[in-house]
Amino acid sequence: MPLLAACGDSDSGSRDGTTSSKDAKKILPAYVASNVVTPDIPAKNGSAVGFTGKLDLATLKTSVPKKLGKGGKVTVMSPFWGSPPKSDNAYYKAMNDLIGVDVSWQNQDGNTYEQKLGAVLASSDVPDVVVVPGWNMNGKIPTAIISKFADLGPYLSGDAVKEYPNLAAIPTEAWQRSIFGGKLRGLPMPSPWAPSIVPLYRRDIFEKEGYEIPKSCDEFMALAKEITNAKAKRWACLDMKWTAWQAFGVFSGSEKPLWWDMVDGKLVNRIETEQYLEAIEWSRKLFEAGVVHPDSKMGKNAPDPGPKFAAGEFLIYPNNISQWWGRTAEQATQNPEFKIWGMDVWGHDGGNPTIYAEEPAGIFAFVNKKASESVIRDVLAVANVTAAPYGTKEYMMTNYGVEGTHYTVKDGVPTKTDQGNIDVMNAYVMIASPAATLAHPDFPEVAKAQVEWEQRMGAFTKKSAFWGMQITEPNRWTNLANDFEQLEDDIVRGRKKISDMQQAVSDWKSKGGDKLRDWYKKILDENGSAAS
Amino acid sequence: MSHSTVPRSRTEADSTAKTPVASGGATGSSRKRRPGKLSLRHRFRRDRVLLLMTLPAVALVLLFNYVPILGNVVAFQDYDPYISDNGVVSMLHSPWVGLENFQRIFEDSSFWSAVQNTLVLFFLQLLLFFPIPILLALLINSVVRPRVRAVAQAVLYLPHFFSWVLVISVFQQLLGGAGLLSQLLREHGYDGLDIMTDPNTFKFLVTAQSVWKDAGWGIIVFLAALAAVSPDLYEAAAMDGANRWRRMWHVTLPALRPVIALLLVLRVGDALTVGFEQILLQRDAVGPGAAEVLDTFVWWNGVRNQDFGYAAAAGLVKGVISIGLVLAANKVAHLMGEQGVYKK
Repeated sequence: MPLLAACGDSDSGSRDGTTSSKDAKKILPAYVASNVVTPDIPAKNGSAVGFTGKLDLATLKTSVPKKLGKGGKVTVMSPFWGSPPKSDNAYYKAMNDLIGVDVSWQNQDGNTYEQKLGAVLASSDVPDVVVVPGWNMNGKIPTAIISKFADLGPYLSGDAVKEYPNLAAIPTEAWQRSIFGGKLRGLPMPSPWAPSIVPLYRRDIFEKEGYEIPKSCDEFMALAKEITNAKAKRWACLDMKWTAWQAFGVFSGSEKPLWWDMVDGKLVNRIETEQYLEAIEWSRKLFEAGVVHPDSKMGKNAPDPGPKFAAGEFLIYPNNISQWWGRTAEQATQNPEFKIWGMDVWGHDGGNPTIYAEEPAGIFAFVNKKASESVIRDVLAVANVTAAPYGTKEYMMTNYGVEGTHYTVKDGVPTKTDQGNIDVMNAYVMIASPAATLAHPDFPEVAKAQVEWEQRMGAFTKKSAFWGMQITEPNRWTNLANDFEQLEDDIVRGRKKISDMQQAVSDWKSKGGDKLRDWYKKILDENGSAAS
Repeated sequence: MSHSTVPRSRTEADSTAKTPVASGGATGSSRKRRPGKLSLRHRFRRDRVLLLMTLPAVALVLLFNYVPILGNVVAFQDYDPYISDNGVVSMLHSPWVGLENFQRIFEDSSFWSAVQNTLVLFFLQLLLFFPIPILLALLINSVVRPRVRAVAQAVLYLPHFFSWVLVISVFQQLLGGAGLLSQLLREHGYDGLDIMTDPNTFKFLVTAQSVWKDAGWGIIVFLAALAAVSPDLYEAAAMDGANRWRRMWHVTLPALRPVIALLLVLRVGDALTVGFEQILLQRDAVGPGAAEVLDTFVWWNGVRNQDFGYAAAAGLVKGVISIGLVLAANKVAHLMGEQGVYKK
């Protein structure tokens, strides 16, 4: 299997592999830290930077002093969660004025995005910019990215990026992930590599009932049994599988290359490890003990947990750290008692956990290969505004909209208006973001707790062998492990047995898993690991 | 697929229904004799307006049903739609793999489990779903007061217009593990129900949902057939001393027989299409072991895994099995003395 060389000139065809760190150095943009604003809590252990102060509009800085856009038109397709606003709304207009580019959005439902994505990439009508989240890069999508999207290297590599200071301040590890097929093709949305899945719990009810935060899997089970009272419509938790991965030290499952790590000189996949089976078994026991809310039996078909969590039907569930703030804001007015908090992850036996690092960037914006230079420049102008750090006028505009129209500020707390909640959703933030930031001026104590949680857990976090690399697996093996997630869920819910998993693993090995191991080993031998 | 067959089955049902009590054979043979008398050109001239009127429909069928069939060649390729901007060009440049995709299918246990689930569901639905619209139609037909009848019909038709998402949410709210019924049971000291997430009874659940949603809609064709039965026949039978049941057995059911046979054949042709959206929405609630059917298998491999060649091959296998089933069912219809969908 030939490894991809960065100097390959052919732009089409399916190509797998990764880019060696030596070749990557030649095309990575230079890093120039932004000194426009200083965060209250600097990043540590892979955490985001935190801002815990109040908002003062008068002291907002300007990070883009001069409009870089040349007034061209740019169409963008991106995933959207919620109902998209009208295309000529005040927020889009204000953003386009600020940037100097006429951005026209094609917002697609984020939950079914991969279905649209495949069709659009296969057509002759690819928009100027396409946003692709990492979790949608299944099957042949990675090779499509290589053959359909432009090389941004000539505009960003080395010192060229300095023309766009906010892009130059994006951490190098996020850019490293944006190299697809030997070229710098993506504009990244950086994310912390500290763990992102938090066991969230109802702190108000915990305090009222005197529940203690568990320190081991046994303690968790005992607590869960104490909490559960099905007759009164209360269960302890939802499916805890994601927390179990962390408690038992299972390699990250977020992206296929992260499933691998070196153990005693041998490359091992997460599905082959003892920890993996133990984590599944413990999650299964929770279901068996009847402490899991019945909705969880439905797996991915389960309804949104928000309302039932707020109603106290269950008290603990693992989810993305963003929900810590999201649920807080959601319930603040109607449910003042409600307090959601994150508990520290425990080691399964009561010791410290070993958690595996997340990728430092997970969502990317790509520019159509057919786009002219002026379109690419305009896209970069957009990205330079959306990547402005917290504390700047550009950040406020991107994330909150127009003051007075989309949000109002009272006592240093910005509150979105009704129009703000409709117009200012997740559109522009999809095209490049600043270094991962946690800032919630409405609930500064949540922002502080989030960053501190990331830093505490980050201390237990380990980078696996292929962390930070952008790897395209060969087509014939890329779907090999797709069914494992489903099988895990089946076992945890008692529909399949652990022995079915062992059978699936041995099938996986014989159907190509062992060959895939050799393939990955070769990448490791030739590139070394990012973690070392 | 089922949508495209509905109008056809209705018109055919109507035309057969107008000539009740199995006189179809006679008209068929008299129709056959006519071509001998008139030349093709003559007939063309005579029917040209009618033919012209069918053209738009024929064009649509060609464009949307026949042209896409050509796309099935990807079943013999490792199809990569991204190597060019045009699907046809991609097809020309994708590597040919011969029968490899089919070989993989036949070795793939999840494919066979999908086939099994599909067939079991089909037979369950045939047994538990198919007779219900007939019974409902007979019931509605026996209601004399037009007002009651209209209200009953409206109530029966209504669920058909709900989306599957809505139907399943309603089922979930009522019967789910944390739903109304389960909670009521728990409050009274019993265990909660596991109806929505039990893989063992999932197929009955799916059938029950289909009955609730679509059985009412299914009575339309039968009602049309019943309306075409001449009241004279009932009067004559009553004069001869036939009671209610006798009349139903000797008049109503024979009138329905051609329609039942036709719909049965059509249903068998669609046997392997057992409710894509409905099942996809509940696949994770019971796991693919119980819920994966051929359509979701194709979706999963094609759309989700982007393994288009493989998915197309699975679709082709499904098509071949379906053709076999239609031929068999049609044969059975002929043996029963009915027209079926076509006759040689």
